[in-house]
Amino acid sequence: MLTRLKGGHVVDPANDRDGVGDVFIEDGTVVEAPAPAREADETIDCTGLVVMAGAIDIHSHIAGGHVNTARLLLPEWHRAFSSRPGETALSKVGWTTEETGLRYAEMGFTTVVEPAMAPSSALHAHLELADTPIIDKATLVVLGNDDLLLEMIRAGESDAAIADYVSWTVASSRALGVKCINAGGSAAFKENVRKFDFDDVVPDYGVSSRQIMKTLQSAVKTLGIPHPLHVHCNNLGVPGASSDAIEATIKAAEGDPLHLAHIQFYGYGTEGKRRFSSRGQKLAELVNATKEVTVDIGQVMFGQTVTISSDELRQFAGAKQASPGKSIIFDHEANGGGVVPMDYKKKSFHNALQWAIGLELFLLIEDPSRVFFTTDHPNGAPFTTYPDIFALLMDRGVRARWLEALPKSVAKMTSLPEIEREYTLGEIATMTRAAPARLLGTADRGHLGAGAVGDVSVYRPGDDKAAMFARAAYVLKDGDLVVRDGAVVKRKFGRALTLRPEPDKAMQTRLDRYFDDKYGLSSRWFEVPEGALGREEPFKVMPCRA
Amino acid sequence: METAWIDGKPASLEEALRAAGTLLGKARQPLVTGLRTDVAGVRAAFLLALRAGGIVDHAKSAGLYPFIAAARDGGAFLAAPGEMRRRADRVLIVGDEPATIGADLLRMLAETTPDLGVRSRGAGRSFMAVSRQTVTLPGGVESDHLDCASDDVVDLLGMVRAKLGGRRVGEGAVGDEVVETVARFLSEAGFAAIIFSPSEFGEIGTEQIFGLAEDLNQTTRASTLLVVADPDALGAALQATWTSGFPLRISHGRGEWEHDPALFSSERQIAKEGEADVVVYVDALAGADTSLPPPEKPTILIAAGSGQTSGAKVAFKVGAAGRDHDGVLYNARFGDFVATSAETKSELPTAAGILDALASQLGENAEKAA
Ligand SMILES: [Zn+2]
Repeated sequence: MLTRLKGGHVVDPANDRDGVGDVFIEDGTVVEAPAPAREADETIDCTGLVVMAGAIDIHSHIAGGHVNTARLLLPEWHRAFSSRPGETALSKVGWTTEETGLRYAEMGFTTVVEPAMAPSSALHAHLELADTPIIDKATLVVLGNDDLLLEMIRAGESDAAIADYVSWTVASSRALGVKCINAGGSAAFKENVRKFDFDDVVPDYGVSSRQIMKTLQSAVKTLGIPHPLHVHCNNLGVPGASSDAIEATIKAAEGDPLHLAHIQFYGYGTEGKRRFSSRGQKLAELVNATKEVTVDIGQVMFGQTVTISSDELRQFAGAKQASPGKSIIFDHEANGGGVVPMDYKKKSFHNALQWAIGLELFLLIEDPSRVFFTTDHPNGAPFTTYPDIFALLMDRGVRARWLEALPKSVAKMTSLPEIEREYTLGEIATMTRAAPARLLGTADRGHLGAGAVGDVSVYRPGDDKAAMFARAAYVLKDGDLVVRDGAVVKRKFGRALTLRPEPDKAMQTRLDRYFDDKYGLSSRWFEVPEGALGREEPFKVMPCRA
Repeated sequence: METAWIDGKPASLEEALRAAGTLLGKARQPLVTGLRTDVAGVRAAFLLALRAGGIVDHAKSAGLYPFIAAARDGGAFLAAPGEMRRRADRVLIVGDEPATIGADLLRMLAETTPDLGVRSRGAGRSFMAVSRQTVTLPGGVESDHLDCASDDVVDLLGMVRAKLGGRRVGEGAVGDEVVETVARFLSEAGFAAIIFSPSEFGEIGTEQIFGLAEDLNQTTRASTLLVVADPDALGAALQATWTSGFPLRISHGRGEWEHDPALFSSERQIAKEGEADVVVYVDALAGADTSLPPPEKPTILIAAGSGQTSGAKVAFKVGAAGRDHDGVLYNARFGDFVATSAETKSELPTAAGILDALASQLGENAEKAA
């Protein structure tokens, strides 16, 4: 079947398109314009509308044990418990796999990456993803606090052996990439260490966070995993120490690709009478100057949310600020983690400055292909706040109005009021489509060239950018019309994008023995068999680099 | 081989599905419970309840609710068994249920010693039980025993918390010396693991135990290991949470998932005063032996056991997940879901298959009526 999206303003930076034209989709895939004589089976009139590829979210906690615990911890924000339904951002999220898929699709997002899958929770994460409708999904698997990696580094094992272990982990968990979260920090916390810097060593192992991070960065490169190592730095949220940690980490990239997650949470200094200040400008300059790194923001927006993280050390510390005052802390194999509710308040100097620092970073980092659009959902804010963030980036009038509503002391501590930049539609498309596809190594999406998957979002432009991005006029998923006027009209299931590296057989034998001897667990329990997910084609395999 | 019955008489699968569909179609308040099945079966059960406007619960969710309620009201510290095997140098056994429903876990901890962490490895692992019964560990491993009835355990732990916090410890059922002993045992640990069964202590007692773990973590490291009698109920609760936002006891009677821990509990609904008028009862794991709900409520039974057909209006014999067919099951030892391969080849239908067939039957009926 041939579908024609007719006469829209096509914004497709990956193919240098920015003008009125058509997009054709045949049997789920974007195709070249057919011969003039051929009639399309279906024509969608896009006159006056903006046509982009489906958006890609590279970092959003949507599935797995910790996310599910957060649902358990905060039932009162679900509709049935809320005295004023729809009043809080989280109640809008709906907080289920079903709502996650539908709400993303309605905003024109068609691919979302769950960035913190524990190897021991891989099947669980994929079961949730298999229940998340419409969108395609992918996961990053977490290493860097696991006994085996630390022991291999301590023992001076070969790069090849370590790469093989990483390869096994990616293959058995069906991941698209690798993440490290406060490398060594959770392992140190289990030894009762309460503060852990980039050059601190994990007790007993004598291995530093830097060593762990560099080891994983190199293994990812050796294996040809397209997505660079995805790093959650040490000292998240700590004024001064957070910005020291991210600076040291960025400098340690040393010419090889590295992705730094939710950098807003590291843009904190200790200046001012409250000992809390913005280092947004300085951090943006460092990112601008370090071409091998990419970053996402983790923008804070105001309202009730819940933080979910495998950074057990920092979540334990943050539990003291939990609002409401309750949290769940996990001591699992490897990372563990924590779930801590958070209520970001407009009236709070601290929260308002966090909001401003996120926007400084978005606006001062010059290259939209190296800065990615995230709230670290739900850590900075639920993903349902995205339309407001698009408006804040694209319209300085909107920023000025928001700033006015914040404590006066905040405006003095941020360069935000002086920043004039407004993101163009092309830059938005780069940041949310073209660049994420390149970063993830998923060449089949993020653009509208021939051969791309038929994932398309069409928006009704207007002065109110939040309204424009909240409700897509049309969304096509693999060529099927799934959203019309901001509402889902067809429910289907997407797939999980995975790599399929082939680890050495000897590594399987070694891990069979290791998990059995050390933990009393079967290594097979870490696997995600295709047949376990109850969907016809649950995976789509993406190639590694040769 | 007979696999379906109507009023206790053998029937074809098609006839039985039709009879069950009719029964559900007429029901004012369907209830889907039992829920002893794999992830595919639970997924299908939710779909059926969604189509039928029904209530869903697991028959044994009452054993979980003290944990669920305590965790969502006050938070928790939770550990994985495998990590505690490698790290816990002190194990506090709280109450009498760990020795029965947690026997496997205790055996694993008794048969191993911590090998991770400068603070915790080297000195072996010591055990202390505050319980009524003495705890016998395998291999002659010793456990100190402080005699304490379940009712008094919670008080004792409260006094331990007061002592750890430097507050005055009031008079209690146990002497100050015991309080001091437990406090020292835990606070001197490199990593303390507290093992308990939430159903033994209820919500308030469970909150006290999580609170103790929280207090300990101000200065040292500690966490808890839960033991539950029905791990598949925990799996069903997790799945309900991602599907509906709530840990079981949910209803789709008003067009969206609603949660009411009292109103929608299986125990209440199955009893005479419950609103449910048709019960779909799923009992499809190995070792199926759950007794039928009372016969005054018409029941559609989906069971892996034999000889469970009498009393049910319609009955289906299905395979047990993980034994007769592959399935994903919650594994307490792993602390998460595990894909489990069948032990034998079986021609029996799956619980998920029957539930899906019932759900699509309701879908068709709804279309015909429209
Ligand atoms: Zn994150």
